[in-house]
Amino acid sequence: MPIIEMKKVFLLGHREERESIFSLLHKLGSVELLDIKSGEAWEEFEALVEPEHTGETASQAESSLSDIRYCLDIFQRYFPVRKNFIQQFTGAKLELTEQDYRKLVGRLEEVKAVYDSCYKAEEKIARIRNEETQSQNLIEELQPWASLSLPLEQLTDGSFATMGLYTAVADSLVDLQVALSEKVPAHYFEEVLSDNEFVYFFYAGLTEDAQVTRDIFKDNTVTTVTFPGLKGTATQNIELLYDKIGTLREERESVLKEIETLLEHRPMLMACYDYMANELQKNEAVANLARTENSFLLEGWVPVPVLNDLEKSVAEKTETAVLAARDPEPGENVPVLLHNSGPVGAYEVVTKLYSTPRKGELDPTPFMAPFFFVFFGICLSDAGYGIILSLLALYVSRKLKLEGMGKQLIYLLFLGGISSVFFGILFGGYFGDLIKLPPIWFNPLDDPMRMLFYCFGIGLFHIYFGMGVQAFRNIKAGHPLSALYDQGFWFIFLNGLILLALPDYSAVARWMAIGGGVGLVLTQGRNQNGIIMKFLSGLLSLYNITGYLSDVLSYSRLLALGLASIVIATAINAMSEMVAGSIIGVGIMVLVLMGGHLFNIVISTLGSYVHTSRLQYIEFFSKFFEGGGKAFQPFKAQTSYIDITETEKG
Amino acid sequence: MTGTEIALIGAALAVGLAGIGSAIGVGIVGQSAAGLVTEDPDKFGQTLLLQALPGTQGIYGLLAGFIIMQTVGVIGDELLVLTIPQGYAFLMASLPIAIVGLVSGIYQGRVSAAAVGLIAKRPEELGKGIVYAVMVETYAVLALLATIMLLFGIPV
Repeated sequence: MPIIEMKKVFLLGHREERESIFSLLHKLGSVELLDIKSGEAWEEFEALVEPEHTGETASQAESSLSDIRYCLDIFQRYFPVRKNFIQQFTGAKLELTEQDYRKLVGRLEEVKAVYDSCYKAEEKIARIRNEETQSQNLIEELQPWASLSLPLEQLTDGSFATMGLYTAVADSLVDLQVALSEKVPAHYFEEVLSDNEFVYFFYAGLTEDAQVTRDIFKDNTVTTVTFPGLKGTATQNIELLYDKIGTLREERESVLKEIETLLEHRPMLMACYDYMANELQKNEAVANLARTENSFLLEGWVPVPVLNDLEKSVAEKTETAVLAARDPEPGENVPVLLHNSGPVGAYEVVTKLYSTPRKGELDPTPFMAPFFFVFFGICLSDAGYGIILSLLALYVSRKLKLEGMGKQLIYLLFLGGISSVFFGILFGGYFGDLIKLPPIWFNPLDDPMRMLFYCFGIGLFHIYFGMGVQAFRNIKAGHPLSALYDQGFWFIFLNGLILLALPDYSAVARWMAIGGGVGLVLTQGRNQNGIIMKFLSGLLSLYNITGYLSDVLSYSRLLALGLASIVIATAINAMSEMVAGSIIGVGIMVLVLMGGHLFNIVISTLGSYVHTSRLQYIEFFSKFFEGGGKAFQPFKAQTSYIDITETEKG
Repeated sequence: MTGTEIALIGAALAVGLAGIGSAIGVGIVGQSAAGLVTEDPDKFGQTLLLQALPGTQGIYGLLAGFIIMQTVGVIGDELLVLTIPQGYAFLMASLPIAIVGLVSGIYQGRVSAAAVGLIAKRPEELGKGIVYAVMVETYAVLALLATIMLLFGIPV
């Protein structure tokens, strides 16, 4: 059975054993817990339920989680652990044995101290960064005045004379100088620096002319520059600031070293994070329980195959708990767990990427798997590429510990490689035309029209198969007439139209097409009211023929992708031949061949996978599969940072 | 101008226009991908996959161009001298992938860029994002098919 049956379980226990029962369930990981407040028992229980304060422990756990997160983020920022390309898809976790994990979690107390050190270090770094930016800014401001030999503290307004630094827009310089020479007879003007935009100048004048000068400056958009608190010349200050930045950088290095010494706590923090997160999860589950003063009740879903184990361990490990199970009732939202054994299991990933089946719906995986296998092979259709793809998949699955969908995907690619070897031999593709072996069947490059018709044929079979599955579902659901109307008539009608193309069968074909068409017109409007509406929507349903037509034409992509991988491979071979000739040429040729074919394998595998998936999703699933089910999510340990491996002994 | 040169214009159009489409498409995805990776560097692999999707049009164009070049004999030993009608036949045959490659590459890029936004929030839904992008690519594949059938159908 591809979809595993579920039973609803109720567990009633004494409050004293609550913790141990939850730890047990958490460890087994075979129950999906339901929020009792949305469950059926809630109405009866509501009056009995004791409010319980799990809030405090929960918020404590949460704050300690965020502390750990903070430390790990800081570590990651300054001393990142890089993930390699494959790990970005699969995740990289720290592998720990059960013993080591316990040891690390035992150091939970240390988290606070590590957090404090991290916090202090981070504060220091922030302060250093701040001061550094300030110094940098000040240097930039001082830079234009570097050639001024006057100490900055001497730029003051005295009772007789005033001195200051100013900037003016370069365009207004002439106007400014004219105005000054006209209205202020005694002044000193020295241009310190000028660039495209601004003029930086030193100005000295009599204090009694101050007001006039200010007005002139205002009219010509001159801004005053001051450096409060600075002593010595601009150059001296700049040097001092550079020294300061140097010290700040050294200081930063030493803080980073401090953080580096904290790095040894990283595994401990990771372990504690996962531990705390799971404790929190248990806590939340407890909050969703119905409970009285001395007892509690939990509700959940259990897959039938593991129900026995669950019953046994509950009976063994606890004294008071009572477990009851029943079949799901109609209308209940039963979670769905897929289980396909053997190679078919690999194709579950394709179904899951589309949608989980609804409860009671057929799992499309076994129907889809053989088609996926074949289509993938036709798209890649190269024996050499198939071997390399399979070997790569094998290598990755050996090298990385993959779980769930990642594991299934790699297995799927492995099978795709095998399929590709098969079709490569049929069509004579061995790294394109690198190894010239005659095809066992024929080469699609020589006769693309023939291949195109085979693609349409296989597509038609795929679509008919999907319709057949739907007909089977209709019959099983007790609607044999729906199967006849919705699938049977279409089948007759479509086949009639196809046979019309063959002159030998035209008489039969005509009557099949007419019969099927009439059948469709008469039945497709059966849910409408009124005879006219029934007839019209029946007639309109014939328009769906375009849908079937485009579905079949869509399979031409099998040919196109097959040709694409062959022709690109041929192009790579042709390019490599062009450079061959000398010893160096042979070297380049080998590089071109290796790089080019590797590139083609990657790009063609991607194309084969996505287009084969699309044929399943759009052309095949649309005939019978609805999806939209809820996937089974058991209550179990989930880890973000660590992976607990089986201990070798004890 | 001989037919051979007209045929080579076809090759240039197929490679050039489809390549432009892919370049724009890949560029669009790259911009949003870089935005996401500033927040979450570990999504590099996934976003790279999405960025590769609109790149296929350029490859299809190159493929069509390559077939023309090989048939005409630019790659190989001797250059065929085609009649002008033959040359135009090659030019016409290259148009489906040239035009559709240009437009679909850009639109596939937009869909893939949206899919980058999708995996920013739900990394587990990468598959669905890819499917959306592939819906666009269908038409590039069909155009490639038309071009290939036409090219193989021209008597030389």
